[in-house]
Amino acid sequence: MTYSWKTIIRHGLPLLMFCLLIEIYAGGILQQNQTFLVKQLPVFLVSIPVINGVGGNIGSILGARLASGLHVGSIRLDPRDKQMHENVFTSILLGILTYGILAIIIYYIGTITGTTKGIELISYLTIFIGTGVFLICILSFVSVFSAFISYKRGIDPDDVVAPIVTTFGDTIGIMLLFFFLGGIMI
Amino acid sequence: MLAKDLFKQSLPLLILCGIGGLFTGNILAIMSPLFQSIPGLFIIVPGVIALRGNISTAFGSRLGSAYHLGFISEKDMWNDALKQNILGSILLSIIVSFILGGLAYLASIAFFTIVPHPLLLIGSVLLAGIISGVVLTFLTVGIVYLVFKRGYDPDNITGPALSTVGDIITIFTLFLSAGLMEAIL
Repeated sequence: MTYSWKTIIRHGLPLLMFCLLIEIYAGGILQQNQTFLVKQLPVFLVSIPVINGVGGNIGSILGARLASGLHVGSIRLDPRDKQMHENVFTSILLGILTYGILAIIIYYIGTITGTTKGIELISYLTIFIGTGVFLICILSFVSVFSAFISYKRGIDPDDVVAPIVTTFGDTIGIMLLFFFLGGIMI
Repeated sequence: MLAKDLFKQSLPLLILCGIGGLFTGNILAIMSPLFQSIPGLFIIVPGVIALRGNISTAFGSRLGSAYHLGFISEKDMWNDALKQNILGSILLSIIVSFILGGLAYLASIAFFTIVPHPLLLIGSVLLAGIISGVVLTFLTVGIVYLVFKRGYDPDNITGPALSTVGDIITIFTLFLSAGLMEAIL
């Protein structure tokens, strides 16, 4: 195997184009809520990269673990597989803990930098952790689904799951955030 | 114990990456006046972050595989395999940034009823894509070199390191490029 810049572009471009279209949709939601994010509650603008980053990372860790399990044979292609359930359940717990710790850190840094004006700690925690936990649940499902489908079709899940999970995570994370914001703040 | 291992090995890294995200978020908050003076700039933010992450993590993971396969080593870094990889990922970031700028321009007109300044929007994305593409590519080579020298497995380190540092660098370059383009035009 030798590397050439042409094959790198040829292999990379199709998946990147697919990601682009979904990410532009996510950007459109931000654009529509621009005044809210910039003027009213900038703490949520600060939170978006954290929510999406952590969600994408936990989903990718789960995907990598499922891929290894499928390759080694310890996880079977079965929606009732016990070890798969255990992995999903642990990822969700990991998500609750990570989002909980980060929410408190972000809020207190926000009180110093002045971005949390206009929101109570308890409302912020509810919105942030609520978004995070729902995001992890959906992304775990996406992760299992894409790992199983790609493995079944003979594609290495290691190549596919991480880009799919992080791309969907960005859009779903932003949508969920505004869903929770709408329910609690507006 | 699955849960105990996963918590012990992943939680510190996840918290660290969350704090990295917080840096990115604060840069976004600082650059918010630019979002108001350059309509359409918000639309490209998730795209720019995601694409840079995807291009440089793929680059890092290819370098990791090249190392395992023996194509590059700490004694023989600057060979053709590495040069082709560098060229490929820099060209990929330029092409994709240009397409992102163009699509964002069309999408803002078609769906969001705003008319961005085409040169300002596409120019900002393109400039940010080129600068952060070059910076992150050489940063990846640097990280991989250090990891080789210490005898660690690059596969375990480059991914998380790049996704955390990459976001911060990308948004910072977008901030600088958009500010620069606005000052010029």
